[in-house]
Amino acid sequence: MTMKRFPPRGRPLALMSAGMIVLACMIIPAAMAAEQPKAGGTLTFAVAAEPASYDLHRETSFASIHPVAPHYSLLVKFDQWKYPEIEGDVAESWNISKDGLTYTFKIRKGIKFHDGSVLTAKDVKATYDKIIFPPKEVVSAREASYEMVKSVEAPDDQTLVFRLKWAAASLLANLASPWNPIYKADILAKDPHWYEKNIMGTGPFTFVEHVKGSHWVGKKNKDYFMKGRPYLDGFQAIFIRDTSARVATIRGGRALIEFRGFSPAARDDLVRALGPKIKVQESPWLCVLTVAVNTQKKPFDDARVRRALSLAVDRWGGSQHLSQISIVKSVGGVMRPGYEAYAATEAEIVKLPGFGKDIEASRKEARGLLKEAGYPQGFGFTFKNRDVKEPYEIVGVWMIDQWRQIGLTANHVVQETAAFTKDLRDGNYETGMDFACDFMDEPDLQLFKYVSSSKNPSNYSKYENPKLDELYEKQSRTRDAKARRALVREFEKIVLNEAFTVPTLWWHKINPHWAKVRGWNALPSHYLNQDLADVWLAE
Amino acid sequence: MQRYIVKRFLLMIPTLLGVAVLVFLLMRVVPGDIVQLKFTLEGTGVSDEFLAKERARLGLDKPVTQQFVEWMWGIVRLDFGKSMWTDNPVTAEIALRLHLSLQVAIMATIVATLLSVPLGVLAALKQDTWVDYAVRVFSIAGLAMPSFWLGILIILCLLIFFQWLPPMFFTPIWVDPWANLSQLIWPALAVGYRYSAVATRMTRSSMLEVLREDYVRTARAKGLWEQVVVVRHAMKNAMLPVITVLGLEFAFLIGGLVVTEQVFNLNGLGMLFVESIARRDYTMTQALVLLTGFTFIFVNFLVDLLYAWFDPRIRYG
Repeated sequence: MTMKRFPPRGRPLALMSAGMIVLACMIIPAAMAAEQPKAGGTLTFAVAAEPASYDLHRETSFASIHPVAPHYSLLVKFDQWKYPEIEGDVAESWNISKDGLTYTFKIRKGIKFHDGSVLTAKDVKATYDKIIFPPKEVVSAREASYEMVKSVEAPDDQTLVFRLKWAAASLLANLASPWNPIYKADILAKDPHWYEKNIMGTGPFTFVEHVKGSHWVGKKNKDYFMKGRPYLDGFQAIFIRDTSARVATIRGGRALIEFRGFSPAARDDLVRALGPKIKVQESPWLCVLTVAVNTQKKPFDDARVRRALSLAVDRWGGSQHLSQISIVKSVGGVMRPGYEAYAATEAEIVKLPGFGKDIEASRKEARGLLKEAGYPQGFGFTFKNRDVKEPYEIVGVWMIDQWRQIGLTANHVVQETAAFTKDLRDGNYETGMDFACDFMDEPDLQLFKYVSSSKNPSNYSKYENPKLDELYEKQSRTRDAKARRALVREFEKIVLNEAFTVPTLWWHKINPHWAKVRGWNALPSHYLNQDLADVWLAE
Repeated sequence: MQRYIVKRFLLMIPTLLGVAVLVFLLMRVVPGDIVQLKFTLEGTGVSDEFLAKERARLGLDKPVTQQFVEWMWGIVRLDFGKSMWTDNPVTAEIALRLHLSLQVAIMATIVATLLSVPLGVLAALKQDTWVDYAVRVFSIAGLAMPSFWLGILIILCLLIFFQWLPPMFFTPIWVDPWANLSQLIWPALAVGYRYSAVATRMTRSSMLEVLREDYVRTARAKGLWEQVVVVRHAMKNAMLPVITVLGLEFAFLIGGLVVTEQVFNLNGLGMLFVESIARRDYTMTQALVLLTGFTFIFVNFLVDLLYAWFDPRIRYG
């Protein structure tokens, strides 16, 4: 059974959607009544990698989030059923001042750490102080996302106040980051590195063991502050690096789910083998494959050449065909397509270079640009890529064929990941496959990739554009959604015309899991919704 | 004999030192940076300052010569450092996986020995008969079939025919022998079969050579039972090259079962080895190379001692 989320928009669908909503309103309550969550059981899930450390404030990989998140609470979190709406976690309620400079949170009473001590606003303050103003010897991976914060205060045990230097549109969403678990102030005061090797949270599950290279075990926190949760008695995360071994593990029932995602072929295999025992959740994925073009290497210092590279790519055709064999699907610009608040609509995106539906016209324009730039016969260049088949190599091979059709010859240099990462960051490449994955739809996160290289080292193109940086700042400080959306469109137009880093296709998340796993909704990010508080087993 | 043992033992030190220097230099030559890999792999836009802070924490900002001296000084004190990826002592990370790898290697060696010695001897004794042909087909099939492929077949058969998979967690044999064996018997069979193919061919050819020796003919002429001729006179002498093969294969199995460990999702040293190289975890890779080097040297040393036991000429020579 395949459940597709985020249906495409369009007028013809509107009536049908309305009808479905009415139908759903009638059916869902009945289904809910029949689907009373059952307590008990252990959820076993597979994870493709293993956490380097347990401190999510410093880590950046899903390998840390998946086993660690169930042990912690956040200040606020994304509502898995109403994403991107935000709900309180340890925060009971919150208030934002009219000028947007003060955020006041009311912390729930009676929340206990797993050692029995009570959580207060001081713990939340200590946590955010570590993230936003880390001590010299502590690394905080997302410190830059909280640049707008002047101070974090805890005037009493139940009140937490963020004071801002300027009103920022993204702060509340950033506070729902799954990377910001609440730690205990006393422990942090004694040793800010303690959480790198230990677990002490207020989350739905307490820590039992981590056998390095093998598995991770958590058990139900009987003192969890959400009454009746978690439903599960415990969870086990099994670390399985090999993709086929992960698929076999799900198929054999040794694991019931893998939260990151499988390829279409693995999904089909599991559905074929397990039939109605398997349920498939699919959603657009907040990850995009981009081509980074080194603007310091000739002829890529010429925007016409870069734009020609983008114009050659038939994204709409690629979406149709590549989605059959790989985890890419959606066509979009700098924001994830389907994210209604800030992503370009189809009508908007088709007007931008490289995104038009008439591929012959685009390629004609590309050849014209190459001729204008002095390359009427095309030229050869290297295209560096990671030695990871899914989706890098698959999309890489496809890209080379796209460029061939305007007379460009790309030499596909597939490198081992460590060497590839270093070459990209050091600028030792002409063109390369790059990507970006974020935990939430938010222009501050997705647009940052395109900010000038001098301000953002993950913009590997070495491209500088003060206008883009200015627009980035401006949109970040614009709280009116409509005005902010217009700024994002302006930003996107420059990015796609300058084509220093161009989106190819957005990823598509496929989560086949045993149908008996309930209460987990696949969101667009594999970092979100991992505390497992609502998950239950139907058998 | 004692002199021989001490001399062989002391020779290990310069060999291991050479291995240490080589692996340290090679790891520094290979392009890649553990810090970049750790924090930018998922497309995260972390700053250069952040990366520099982490490099300093790991000691990677120091000159290479200083890093080498510090590492060597640690080895002298039997302190192999901490894994740059997990920050845990490398000895703890290795010890955690050594048990599993050692057990699979021992079980595979038992499977290989139990298959190869009788089959090889039988093939030699029944040379050019259907028995010999059958053993040769069996051993060539083992050589031609990569053990990981056989492993995949085993997994698929268990899944499709029995809807069952081996346990995913390693349980020590003294805690739960059934759980332990039901997880490790399959990789041991997959690896042991390939391993036995090499040893069977070696046993057969070695036995054929020995069976044509004058002393075997003399033993038969004396009227000794065929069983005594084969076991006491022929086999004992034919075993020398077989022991070498078994010893080297055993040493290889300790850290070399990368793909098989992946297929069966075993938490062994082979996987740790590959992961630490891919992550540019210098301290872990260096320690693992030293361990592998030590294992090979030590197993060779044991093989030499066994040679001396099997062949008195070596002992008294």
